[in-house]
Amino acid sequence: PAQPSVMAPGLLGLYARRLLAAAATRGRLAAPVRWESSSARAVIAPSAAVGKRAPEPTVHWQEDPEPEDENLYEKNPDSHGYDKDPVVDVWNMRAVFFFGFSIVLVFGTTFVAYLPDYRMHEWARREAEKLVKYREAHGLPIMESNRFDPSKIQLPDED
Amino acid sequence: MLKIIIPTVMLIPLTWLSKSNMLWINSTMYSLMISMTCLPLMNQFCDNSLNLSMLFFSDSLSTPLLMLTTWLLPLMIIASQHHMAKEPPTRKKLYITMMILLQIFLIMTFSATELIMFYILFEATLVPTLIMITRWGGQTERLNAGIYFLFYTLAGSLPLLVALIYTQTTLGSLNLLLAQYWIDSSTHIWGNSLLWLAYMMAFMVKMPLYGLHLWLPKAHVEAPIAGSMVLAAILLKLGGYGMLRITMMLSPTINFMAYPFMMLSLWGMVMTSSICLRQTDLKSLIAYSSVSHMALVIMAILIQSPWSFMGATALMIAHGLTSSLLFCLANSNYERTHSRTMILARGLQMILPLMAAWWLLASLTNLALPPSINLIGELFVTVSMFSWSNFSIILLGINIIITALYTLYMLIMTQRGKYTYHIHNIKPSFTRENTLMSLHLVPLLLLMISPKIILGTTY
Repeated sequence: PAQPSVMAPGLLGLYARRLLAAAATRGRLAAPVRWESSSARAVIAPSAAVGKRAPEPTVHWQEDPEPEDENLYEKNPDSHGYDKDPVVDVWNMRAVFFFGFSIVLVFGTTFVAYLPDYRMHEWARREAEKLVKYREAHGLPIMESNRFDPSKIQLPDED
Repeated sequence: MLKIIIPTVMLIPLTWLSKSNMLWINSTMYSLMISMTCLPLMNQFCDNSLNLSMLFFSDSLSTPLLMLTTWLLPLMIIASQHHMAKEPPTRKKLYITMMILLQIFLIMTFSATELIMFYILFEATLVPTLIMITRWGGQTERLNAGIYFLFYTLAGSLPLLVALIYTQTTLGSLNLLLAQYWIDSSTHIWGNSLLWLAYMMAFMVKMPLYGLHLWLPKAHVEAPIAGSMVLAAILLKLGGYGMLRITMMLSPTINFMAYPFMMLSLWGMVMTSSICLRQTDLKSLIAYSSVSHMALVIMAILIQSPWSFMGATALMIAHGLTSSLLFCLANSNYERTHSRTMILARGLQMILPLMAAWWLLASLTNLALPPSINLIGELFVTVSMFSWSNFSIILLGINIIITALYTLYMLIMTQRGKYTYHIHNIKPSFTRENTLMSLHLVPLLLLMISPKIILGTTY
């Protein structure tokens, strides 16, 4: 069993955290009156800044939008991101989609799909099957280890 | 190729002669149509290339990169519309002209046959990017960023010029298609190692390799959104593309030169992923994640196996789209809070749920969730690295985990959790931003269905 004197700082921490959480989520107005906590020695008072405007940030953070950055969505909420002028923007979008997707990608894919026997692989397969059939029918070996006729190779002299 | 280059060049008079209210519409519209003209190059026959003229060709490696380049220009234009809104019309037109100029150089670089032309355009891409970073970047650090960017790349690529000229004198031609058949019957001499280094250093700096990556966080962070997009999506891939081409013409006897760079990439991949975990700056996090992904691509290119080339190409395209998307998302945060600090705009899922959906999808593709093409790239690279050396799987596994960690960290930091007190300052998402994100994501998701077009030359 924990002693009360040991528990109190823990409770103080716990309640203080709850209060802080409440203050954070509900803002400065979470404490409209001054009150003292009965469980801990915390005193909650309304902030002296209630009713006053928050000071404008004097420090320019890197994450703030740059003033000269133009948000294309402001003037033209339907912006496609190409241009400020909405007409040019839409036509640019159409040009890119039409020429990029409808012409190049579609026709290009079709072209590549219907390429006739790229690098003659299909011919090679048919030719190989034909030769194997011929050689098996004539009792010749299917393949020889010499690609070229050894009698035709002329070697240079031994140096 | 002229049917792509001439319209892109004509975009410049289009921007200068447009009325200022039609400027963005015109440039977006016509750049989208130009990305259509790039599509027929996808019709790749067997393992040969489409040899279009003496100067230009396109094969299964350069075509997806060309598609990415032409697709990215309209996206860059859409992304820049907000922060350029206050500028006078001439400066807007200048900015768009820089983007278009960069586009022209990139298209010509990816389709060049002659290696000197490739080199000149490779260097020329630096100039508009530098102008974009130093003129339109946000903070004073952009000057330092521009200097790092310019001089790292220049210093790396000067030996490349020497190496190219040496090859021109020994071989007689620098036509890429011919040079692949260069039978360099050389034994192991120091000159060959230096030649290998000279060829590769330019692309290592560009990728960037871990030890030479200091320019990337600076340049990516200080660049305006269009600059960040093009840097992350395309310019890094220039390095990968160059390496993929050059390894075809170098002799296999000097492949041992790859080992130091393999070590740097393996370690750097884990290191930069870990650095991402400690970043407070959102763009810096995405920049370091780019280094980590590109380290995978470097490793894949250096081990030179068919699977790894497939993985490298897929990873380049996937990372191009994903990284550009992440930069656009970071920019949408930046435009609202004017700060790149991640914690300033957190808990966004509460107020911008659609943008949170894009953030989620971007994060999922960044951490290589199956069945996205990022996974295909990473998986192919991991598998081929395992077959090259069993022990590398440890570091690769650690990297995959840390990639997931920092991507989720970024997602949770910006989207989840309790929002900040200043959240009411954050404007709702514009159609423009949602369009931008979906224009990044839809190709990424569509490629899942048919990844054969991004698997490169060894598919």
